[in-house]
Amino acid sequence: MSKPTFSKKPQSTASKMFSIFNYTVLALIGFIMFYPMFYVFIVSISSAEYINQGLVTFFPRGINFEAYKRVFQNDAIWIGYKNTFLYTGLGTLINVMMTAMCAYPLSRKEFYGRGPLTVLITVTMFINGGMIPLYLVVNGVHIINTMWAVILPSAISTYNMIVMRTSFSSIPDSLIESAHLDGANDIQILSKIILPLSKPILATMVLFYAVSHWNSYFPAMLYLNDQSKYPVQVIMRDIVIEGDLAQGGDMSGMMNVISTNYKYAVIIISIIPILMIYPFLQKYFTKGVMVGAVKG
Amino acid sequence: MRRRHVAAGMMAAVVAATTVLGGCSGKKADTGSTAAGEKQTAGTEQAAGTEAAGDADKSSWISEEPVEITVMMKDNPSQPLKVDAPMREEIFKKTNIKLNVQIVPNSSYEEKKNIVLGTNNFPDIIFIPNMADVVTYGNSGVFEPLTQYLNEEDMPNLYKFWQEYPEMKKYLLGDELYVFPVVAREETANGFGPVIRQDLLEANNLETPKTFDELLDVLIKFKELYPDSIPWTGRKGTPNLFKTTSYMLGSGYGDNGLYYDFDEEKFVFGPASTNFKAVLDYLNRAYEAGVLDPEFATTTAEQMESKLSSGKSLFYLDNSGFGQNYTKMLRKVEGQENATFQVLPIPENSFGQRRATAYATELPGRFYALNAGSKHKEEIIKLMDWLYSKEGSDITNYGVEGVSFEYDEKGEPQFKEDYVMKFKDAQPSDYYAIYTDLGITKLDFCMWACNTKTWFEIQQMDGNWDEVADEYWKIIEEDDAYVQPHIFPTLSEEESEKVKDILVDVNTMLEQEYNKYIMGQEEIDNWDNVIKRCEDMGIRELEDIYNQAEARVNAQ
Repeated sequence: MSKPTFSKKPQSTASKMFSIFNYTVLALIGFIMFYPMFYVFIVSISSAEYINQGLVTFFPRGINFEAYKRVFQNDAIWIGYKNTFLYTGLGTLINVMMTAMCAYPLSRKEFYGRGPLTVLITVTMFINGGMIPLYLVVNGVHIINTMWAVILPSAISTYNMIVMRTSFSSIPDSLIESAHLDGANDIQILSKIILPLSKPILATMVLFYAVSHWNSYFPAMLYLNDQSKYPVQVIMRDIVIEGDLAQGGDMSGMMNVISTNYKYAVIIISIIPILMIYPFLQKYFTKGVMVGAVKG
Repeated sequence: MRRRHVAAGMMAAVVAATTVLGGCSGKKADTGSTAAGEKQTAGTEQAAGTEAAGDADKSSWISEEPVEITVMMKDNPSQPLKVDAPMREEIFKKTNIKLNVQIVPNSSYEEKKNIVLGTNNFPDIIFIPNMADVVTYGNSGVFEPLTQYLNEEDMPNLYKFWQEYPEMKKYLLGDELYVFPVVAREETANGFGPVIRQDLLEANNLETPKTFDELLDVLIKFKELYPDSIPWTGRKGTPNLFKTTSYMLGSGYGDNGLYYDFDEEKFVFGPASTNFKAVLDYLNRAYEAGVLDPEFATTTAEQMESKLSSGKSLFYLDNSGFGQNYTKMLRKVEGQENATFQVLPIPENSFGQRRATAYATELPGRFYALNAGSKHKEEIIKLMDWLYSKEGSDITNYGVEGVSFEYDEKGEPQFKEDYVMKFKDAQPSDYYAIYTDLGITKLDFCMWACNTKTWFEIQQMDGNWDEVADEYWKIIEEDDAYVQPHIFPTLSEEESEKVKDILVDVNTMLEQEYNKYIMGQEEIDNWDNVIKRCEDMGIRELEDIYNQAEARVNAQ
């Protein structure tokens, strides 16, 4: 991104008015986007009495960190965290690898069978096998209750692969030809020429995949049986949704056992790490996501 | 130079990834999946660590060789289940059967259960939250039929309960039983009940209302005295409002609208009966007087809690046990130190009846099914029967003898004080903390199960039992208006389909009508037209299906 430049020309009143209006509207929209997260945060550090009375709106009241203390005492969350990092890290590595290896041949015009293969791959975006057949396949290859069940079935996202392929195809053929003449094979070309030239798109892919792994709970819930293998999202979802279920319990001893600030503290804790990735990838991200936007 | 390193590293990683993938799909068990996986194949491996059981008393052992069986269970927010709870150790010691539990998050249980049942990939024993699953999967042969074991010889303890509770016949699908029903042990139950701010009644010299009309007068009085308040609030919208109030007001609204009328002794679809007009009329009067929350149709459980525990609302009619929590929260608010929510004895309705349904105390509607493909059926049958025995029940409700409980001179288990006191200040509640710690009672793997019995015993021991609670349970116990819920008979698959079709149509139509009548946009008398429309949609047929199914069970 280029640095903002300030023009020294005096602005007309109309244009000033426009700027003011513009910024007000943008600030308002920004606030609307920001408020829910801010609200979750202030509730998580407020005390239960004020929350119950509905007195927490813009500022935290009765500030305390009890909820966070309780979250950190919950071993399940720590184990979940460890698993999430593992699944996200390894998963993203495999994703980017596989996507690049799939995208490269499809981006080369001389690749035999490129057209039909592309069609076959694209079809999977619109038609999928459904949950039960997928479960049977995962069960059939004996990876149920292992981390591979979470990582492998989604090793390539077709959409991301197509984005990557488009980006690769913008690299001039002559570059690849000259590498060929120098005696490089396809693997060398991919690793030494294509990938180093595609850092923005790689960063984008890393971000897309990492975020999707981070947020994913469904495959984990479906394929994993041991609590010690659950990622943090399964645990978080459980805490957040179960809290509501508990209130509906039709049993004598049932009560609302999970307080709102606890729920919200869990939410905050589970989003912070992934939020922190954004700034580091942002400079690539704005470039990368536009790659292929012009070229079809 | 550096660039070359990066490239080489990437190459290595690509190769590594390919090998991992290859290894995974090629060989059946690679490093990843042997770890602790393959539990779905249900306990082929035998339990390690026989030493623990080695020196124990072998008289109650079910199997000479240690056997490992897997149970899929539903987690619970009040009582998070633990894999290595002492109760499971104790069962292993006593029976030489190692329970391996798969704990599925509460919020995901439905999906997970459906997929493992649908693909026949479930462990030896699976928790079944309601009979609908038995209807869906019973005839497909995935569950072991149990009537063959239901006799004096194979399962003496369950057979005893089977004879004691004829209602259990409703769990038959056709002539076959596919589930082990959980049986409650000496339970006390509350239910839906009217809960009011006792302190305000006293402060304003108002009499405890004896009829629903008097109750409405009191609430109107409250509204006059405290104009800012919303005297009566609720949760989860209109259907829940009917579910909680209709039966007391002379009609009824069970699951989906159908309920069993104990006075008429048959199933009735509440909204399609003329008595339902009394319910609508009452709610309408409450609404127009400004007593009923204007947001009654959309209000959530959280809003209800917030209104009641901040002093904004003064009355609710729902699970009356919530009141004690609201009292505790409310007393922390300034100026509300004496606030008390207390349940009212059930008031008389416009038909001169006093009636209410309590929560189930005999058969709580929790089930476990046995996988027909399990390799250890014989041992499991014995284990399940042992869990229905007194010894099994004592362990699954009181934990470990000598650690958490001891037998008194009458042979009854009693919690040990030094153990209980450790949890005195546990959050959110002492008794659920103990249940979690030991892995005991109804929400864990327990067939003859306590919940309130142990709760009362724990709280009376550690001093958390307060006056409000004492009075509350006294009122509930002395109130003869409460009846046990009637168990719905199990329908055949065809009947269930038919019922589903009718209910979808009828309830879609009704949901658009209810609020008009409560909010006074329509005359109550026009409800007859709505009943007529229900009849056109086949509502009487639906009632017949249930009444015939009921007759069928009773004839058996």
